[in-house]
Amino acid sequence: MTEPYAAKHYAARAQDYVTSTIHSQGSDLDRVESLVAGKSLRRVLDIGCGGGHVTYRLAPHVGEVVACDVTGPMLDAVAQEAARQGLSNVTTVQAPAEKLPFEHGSFDAVFCRFTTHHWSDALAGLREARRVLAPSGMALFIDVTAPPSALLDSWLQSIELLRDVSHIRNYGVAEWVTLLGQSGFVLQTIGTHRLRMDFKSWVARTKTPPERVAAIRSLQRAAPDDVTRHFGVEADGSFMIDVSTFQAAPL
Amino acid sequence: MTADLDPRLLSMLVCPLTKGPLEYDRERQELRSPKAHLAYPIRDGIPIMLPDEARQLES
Repeated sequence: MTEPYAAKHYAARAQDYVTSTIHSQGSDLDRVESLVAGKSLRRVLDIGCGGGHVTYRLAPHVGEVVACDVTGPMLDAVAQEAARQGLSNVTTVQAPAEKLPFEHGSFDAVFCRFTTHHWSDALAGLREARRVLAPSGMALFIDVTAPPSALLDSWLQSIELLRDVSHIRNYGVAEWVTLLGQSGFVLQTIGTHRLRMDFKSWVARTKTPPERVAAIRSLQRAAPDDVTRHFGVEADGSFMIDVSTFQAAPL
Repeated sequence: MTADLDPRLLSMLVCPLTKGPLEYDRERQELRSPKAHLAYPIRDGIPIMLPDEARQLES
C-alpha cells in the first residue's frame, strides 16, 4: 500500500490536533463562523479538515458539512468529536485535496485552513476546490504565509521542514494571488494576522525527533538579526508567524 | 459511528480519477467506479477515496 506521505505522518497525531488550542481557537475561526451564519447554506466542504475545528464551527449554521482529509485516523477523531458535540450533520470522506471525489458544483462554500502547505500540488488542489464549488459559492483559504523577503522565506521553510518532513511550502501572499487566479477564483479580500507559536507545543504536536528540534534551535541561534526580529524569536524558541486569510469567489 | 455509508454522501460522490458515477455495493461496503475499474472501500461508514487503496476490478 502506498499511503500518501502526509497521511503517514499525521496518522499518529490525530488526537493532538483535535485538542490543540492553536487550531481550535483564533480570530480566523470566528471569521469562518460569521461568514456562514444566517445564510442557510445547504452544504459546505472542509478540505484538509485535520482536527476538524472548521467543521465544528460550520456545523451549527449550515445544512450539512463534509469533512475531507487524506489521513484516516484524523477522520475517525473528527467523527467522534462531532458526535460528542451532538453535530449530526457532519459526514467524513478520505481523499487528497488534489483529487476530490465530489460532483462538480456540489458545495455552497469551501474552506481550507492550515492545509494547503501540505499539498503536493497546490494548483491542482485549488482547481479541485473551484470545481466542486457552486457558481454562486464562496471559498475561504487560511494558511501560514511566507514573508516577501527571500531570506525570511528560506528561514521559515527550513524550520518548518525540520519540524515536519511532510511540509511542502508556506506560500507567500503574491503566490497565493497567482494560484487563486490560475484556478478560476476572483479574490475578494485578503487579511493577515500574526500568531505566536509556543515552541514546546509546536514541536510536540508533530512529534519532532530530538535531533531535529536541536537543529531548529541551532538555526535560530545562528539567525541574522533580520530573521530574529521578523519572527520575534524568543529565548525558548517560540516565535511569531503570519497567517493570511483569502476570501474568493468563482470567476 | 455507523458501518453503513451515509446516504447524504452517496448523491455527491464521484470517482476521484474519472469524476464519473459510482455504484454502491452495500454488502461489500464498496463504491465501484466502472470506468476506472476500481472499487473504493468504505470503512466504518467513511469512504476511502484513494485509488491506491481501491480494489482492482476485472475489465
